[in-house]
Amino acid sequence: MTTGTHPATPLSPAVFAILLSLGEGDKHGYAIMKDAQSPQGGAVRMGPGTLYGSIDRMMRDGLVEESGISDDERRRYYRLTMLGRRTLATELERLDAAVSSAKSLGLLHRPLPKGGRS
Amino acid sequence: MKATASSIEHFYAVALRLYPARFRAAYARAMQQALRDALADPAVSRFTFLPLLFRDLVVSLVKENFAMMRESLARPILVFNALVLAAIATGIALALYVIPLNVLRSGLNDPQIQMAGDLAAKLEHLGLEDGLRQGALPASGNGGNIDMAQSLAPFVIVYDDQGRPLASQAVLNGAVPVPPAGVFDYVRQHGEERVSWQPVRGSQTESGVRIAAVVERVSGAHPGFVLAGRNMREVEARIANVQTLAGLTWLGMLAVIAIGCLAFGWYTRPKAGPPTHATPTA
Repeated sequence: MTTGTHPATPLSPAVFAILLSLGEGDKHGYAIMKDAQSPQGGAVRMGPGTLYGSIDRMMRDGLVEESGISDDERRRYYRLTMLGRRTLATELERLDAAVSSAKSLGLLHRPLPKGGRS
Repeated sequence: MKATASSIEHFYAVALRLYPARFRAAYARAMQQALRDALADPAVSRFTFLPLLFRDLVVSLVKENFAMMRESLARPILVFNALVLAAIATGIALALYVIPLNVLRSGLNDPQIQMAGDLAAKLEHLGLEDGLRQGALPASGNGGNIDMAQSLAPFVIVYDDQGRPLASQAVLNGAVPVPPAGVFDYVRQHGEERVSWQPVRGSQTESGVRIAAVVERVSGAHPGFVLAGRNMREVEARIANVQTLAGLTWLGMLAVIAIGCLAFGWYTRPKAGPPTHATPTA
């Protein structure tokens, strides 16, 4: 099992989006990029350079690892480590607390102006 | 012109060569595959993807190369060696400054030591006031009083035991300056003092004139002091030159060390190899 120190939160948008994507299961690079780009995945638009640069640092930090499983030798699949899972949970709790606070202040669920985006 | 998938892939493959070797070895194929997947994805508009790809390429190239440089050059042994060499260079530069400084400054006292010693011995033998009456203090070489502010000639001043001037070969702005009382107190106890003295004008403002002074005690029934001095202007100019040369030498040595360490760090940087992946969990 990979061990490591708990990375400081808040996480960068790219790291958060990668962790969130891998929270669903083992994925290869392009699948992570697509997940990250979706609104549910953090709406982070990143290219291969940012993706693999982030993965490289996250592997060093012990947040993700290669799964060793691949359907194509050119594709590399990654998965969360225990530390990555804990880090993601910590970040989600932090965001959840912030969202709850915003809700209690009435900052969320306001009717949007006509023509505004949801 | 519409970019074809193969031309984009070719451009990207060439651009990947600009990444650090370790990063390239670890991720180049996976990055190319991610690009291939994106280009093959009908949901992805090339109109929006290509600018993103280009921006991502530039930003990550800078980031990864910078990270590689930091890893190459921030190795503890390299930093330690650079600091040791910098310390040695600093020591050499300090020696280049301090040794000539001391030689120049101590050499500046040479005639004064002899002049003050000779006159103090003569006045001790003859008595302070009698000796002065008998011409123990000769007139200055130029026939008049030496202007301390302008002349580089050494001069002598005789003071009584209270530090009042009795006779002088030199003046500063028409008056004979008096050293601080602490100098006389020290000479009373130790017999001699060698000081860099900045005489003050009558209004107690700084004169800007610095004198290398040797003060000797005159013992006997009527004790006093003999001060032999000399303007430090020329020697201080030489000291300033030495300081400049030592400073430039120091900066030059630091620059050579920095360039050498950077070159060494680059030459001995970690070479491309298999990526250091974490051990998969069971």
